[in-house]
Amino acid sequence: MREFEHDDDVDFAIVGTGAGGGTLACRLSELGFRVVAFDAGAWWRPLEEFASDESHQKKLFWTDERLCDGETPLVLGTNNSGKAIGGSTVHFAMVSLRFRPEWFKSRSLLGYGADWPLDWREMWHYYTQVEQALKISGPLKYPWGPKRPRYPYREHELNAAAWVLARGAEALGIDWTSTPLATVSAPRGHSPPCVYRGFCVSGCATNAKQSALVTWIPRAVAAGAEIRDLAMVTRIAVGNNDRVTGLEYIREGQRQFQRARHVVVAGYAIETPRLLLLSATSRFPDGLGNSSGLLGKNLMVQSNQAVWGVMPEEIRAYKGPPSLAITEHWNYTDIGKDFFGGYSYMSQGPLPIVWAGALNRRGLWGQALLDEMQHYNHQVGLKIVGETLPQERNRVTLADEKDANGLPIARVTYSFCDNDKRLIRHALDFMGRALDAAGVGDIWEETNDTCHLNGTARMGDDPRCSVVDGDCRSWDIPNLWICDGSVFPTVGGVNPSLTIQAIALRTADRIAALAGRGELDRRPQKKMS
Amino acid sequence: MQAPGQLKAAHSFTRSSSLLAWSVLADSAMEHYRGSFTNPAMTLPLASSLCALMAGIHSSGDSRPRRHVVRHAIYWSAAGIGIAGTAFHCYNIGKRPGGWCWNNLFYAAPIGAPMALLLSGVFGDVAERMREKPAVQPRLLGLPAWQSTALLCAAGLLGTAGEVGLLHLRGSFQHRAMYAPVLLAPAAATLLIHAAAVRRKPHWAARIALLAAQWLGVIGVLFHARGVARSQGGWRNWSQNLLSGPPLPAPPSLTALAMAGIAALRLEKAES
Ligand SMILES: Cc1cc2nc3c(=O)[nH]c(=O)nc-3n(C[C@H](O)[C@H](O)[C@H](O)COP(=O)(O)OP(=O)(O)OC[C@H]3O[C@@H](n4cnc5c(N)ncnc54)[C@H](O)[C@@H]3O)c2cc1C
Ligand code: SF4
Repeated sequence: MREFEHDDDVDFAIVGTGAGGGTLACRLSELGFRVVAFDAGAWWRPLEEFASDESHQKKLFWTDERLCDGETPLVLGTNNSGKAIGGSTVHFAMVSLRFRPEWFKSRSLLGYGADWPLDWREMWHYYTQVEQALKISGPLKYPWGPKRPRYPYREHELNAAAWVLARGAEALGIDWTSTPLATVSAPRGHSPPCVYRGFCVSGCATNAKQSALVTWIPRAVAAGAEIRDLAMVTRIAVGNNDRVTGLEYIREGQRQFQRARHVVVAGYAIETPRLLLLSATSRFPDGLGNSSGLLGKNLMVQSNQAVWGVMPEEIRAYKGPPSLAITEHWNYTDIGKDFFGGYSYMSQGPLPIVWAGALNRRGLWGQALLDEMQHYNHQVGLKIVGETLPQERNRVTLADEKDANGLPIARVTYSFCDNDKRLIRHALDFMGRALDAAGVGDIWEETNDTCHLNGTARMGDDPRCSVVDGDCRSWDIPNLWICDGSVFPTVGGVNPSLTIQAIALRTADRIAALAGRGELDRRPQKKMS
Repeated sequence: MQAPGQLKAAHSFTRSSSLLAWSVLADSAMEHYRGSFTNPAMTLPLASSLCALMAGIHSSGDSRPRRHVVRHAIYWSAAGIGIAGTAFHCYNIGKRPGGWCWNNLFYAAPIGAPMALLLSGVFGDVAERMREKPAVQPRLLGLPAWQSTALLCAAGLLGTAGEVGLLHLRGSFQHRAMYAPVLLAPAAATLLIHAAAVRRKPHWAARIALLAAQWLGVIGVLFHARGVARSQGGWRNWSQNLLSGPPLPAPPSLTALAMAGIAALRLEKAES
C-alpha cells in the first residue's frame, strides 16, 4: 500500500471507509487523485479474525457512548452502525435495493418530504454500476419499478423463512421476490459462494459478502490510495481563507495532522454531523458547512418493526442470509394507504442472542424466556424497512458529556411523527395477516425496533435549505464534502447502502468533471439574475 | 452370421448407457443424500442406475447375437423410472410457492436430471435390439438404425444443453468455460440432425463436434473439481463442497451422449 506523509498535500482526505467513504476512496484514486482514507475502526481479515460468536463480533459495532432522547429514543449500536474499514457494510445484511424513482422527487410528485437534487435516471445508471461492482445476486426479473438490467449474479436459494413470506404474499395477492443481495451465489475472484450459515450481521467469515472491505477497499489500495485504520478524526481544520486545510486525528494515542486539499466526511449520519459540529471555529461558530442551520437536523431512521410467530414444522430461519425474500408492494402502491411514504418487508433470521433480546424486550425473562427459546427453530417473522419523514426536531447535537478523547459526545434526539406511526400500524397489520395466511401461529408484534440512520446533512438545490449540493459539496466551504448516508433528504422504504454507493460513484465522477473544468478549488460564482 | 459391426455398435451404445447410468448413480446418490431421502422413492434412481450399470458390464462380456431378457427389462425399467422421475420433479416444482419461477427451476428438484436415466435406458434398449438386427441395413423405430440413433442422440444432446444452460445460468456463467457445453452440445446436435438428413456424405463436421463434446465432458469434470476448490474450505472441506459445489458426475453425461452419436455415425459408415 502506498503511504503518504503528513505534509503531503494529498488531494482528498476521507473520514470513514464505509459505503460512502470506501466507494469514494476507490473511485477517486482510480480517477488519479491522491487519497488517504481514515477510519476509527480496525482493518479486519475476516478469514482469520472473525469468530462464529455473536458476542465476540460486537467488535464490529460502533458502541462509543452517545446520549439518546426524544419521544422514541433510539437504541444505537448493533443494528445501526459499524466501526471498521468497510464501515457498517462489514456487518450489514446485504440487502441491495434501488429507490423507487418517484422518491427522488417525493415533495413534487408524492406530496411529502423533500426533493433530491438528483435525477432518477442518472441514479439508475449509477445503481447499475454499483450492482456490477458488487456482483449483486438478484432475481432475473424484478417485479417493481422501471426496467433494470439483469443482476450480475443469480438469486440465492430461499430458506424456509423466505418461503413463508412467499406463501403469505401469494395468499394476499401481492408480488414478492427473492431479495437482491450483496453476497455471491457463485464464486467471484477470491470470494467463495455464500455458504448460507447466516452469520452475516455478525460479519461474514468467508468473504462471500461483497462489503466495502472486500470490494472497494482492495480496489482503492490497488489504485494507490492509503487506508489509515484505527485513526479517529477529531477535527477538520479550516484556514484563514475559509478553506479546509486538513484534519486532526488520533492514532496510537498520538494527535496527528494530515494536510489535504479537500476533506470528505463519510462517518455516517451521527458521526458526520458530530465531527462537523466539533470543528466549529470563530468564523463557523455553528459547525462547518452549517450556514443553513440544518446540520444535524432531519435525522431519519427507518422503522424496523416486525411480526413474529411459530410454525409447526422446523424453519431454522437463521440459515442463510437473513432477508432472502422481500416484497416492495407497499413501496410502489399508493392506494390503500393512510400515510405518506412506503415500506418493504422481508423475511428474517435473527441469531440466538439477538432473538433472546427481542423476546426479552417482549417482557420474557427467566423460565418464560427459556421456554420461548425452545421454539427458536420454529419461529419465523417478517420485518419492515419503513420510511420515516424528515423532521427538524430529530437531530444530532453535541452533549456536555465527553468521550475518552475529551470530545463532546453526540446527543441523538428522535421521535416518530404521526405519519410514521400510521405507516408502522399499517405494516404490522398487513404483515400479521400475511403470517396468518401462511399458516403461522402464536403471532405477536415487535413494535419498537429501528434501523439505518440517514439525513443530518441533506443535499439540495438551495443553500438555505440544505447542507450540501447535489455533488455532495458543502455550500459554504468549497473544498469540504459530505458523502454518506447523511446527505439523504428522504429515506424511502428500502435499505440505503446501494443508494449511498451510487451517490459516491456519482460524486467521484462529478469531482473529476469539476477538476477538468478547473472548478474544483473554487465554486464558480452564480450569475445573479 | 451377425456382422461384427453390429455387435460393435451394440457395445458402443452399451458403453454410453453405462456411462450415463454411472453419472446418474453418482449424481442422484449425492443429490438425494443432500435431500435426506425424504421420500423413499428417492432411492429408486440409485437402484435402477446401479442395475443398468451392472447390465452394461454384463452386456460388454456378451457377444451372442441375441438380446438378454433381464438386461432388456432393466433398461426398460430405467427408462420408465427416468420418465417417472421427471414427472415427479415437475410435480415437486409446481406445488411449491412461486410455481415455475426461476428460483424453483434453479434450486428445486432439477427437471433435467432424471432424463439422463431415461437416456441410459434408451441406449441400453438400442444396444439390446441392435444385437438382433440383420447384417445389412438394420432398421429401428421405422428408420435406418443409424438415423434413428443419431436423432435420439441429438435429442439427448439438446436436452443436456437445456439442463446445463439452466444450471450454468444459475452459476451466472461466472467462468467463460461455462458457455462451452451450452454452445457445443446444440451445435453437435444440429450437425447430427443434419447428418441424419443427408446420408452418404462424409459427416466430418458432426464427427468433430461430437469428439469435442466427448472430451468436453472429461474436461468439465476438471473444471467442476476446480469449482469445488473455489468453495469455502476447498477440497479440505470435501464432504460439504462436493454437495454444494458444481456436480462432479454431471459432465460425463455429455461424453456418453457424444459417444453414442459417434457410434451412430459409425453405423452408417459400416452400412454404406
Ligand atoms: C446490522 C446492520 C444491517 C444492515 N443491513 C443493511 C442492508 O441489508 N442493506 C443496506 O442497504 N444497508 C444496510 N445497513 C445500513 C448500511 O450498512 C449503512 O447504511 C451504510 O453502511 C452507511 O454508509 P456510510 O458510508 O454512511 O457509513 P458507514 O458504512 O457506517 O461508514 C462510516 C465509517 O466511518 C467511520 N468513522 C465515523 N466517524 C469517524 C471519525 N471521526 N474518524 C474516523 N472514522 C470515523 C466509522 O468507523 C465507519 O467505519 C445495515 C446496517 C447495519 C448496522
Ligand atoms: S450466510 Fe453467506 S454472506 Fe452470510 S455470513 Fe455466511 S457466507 Fe457470509
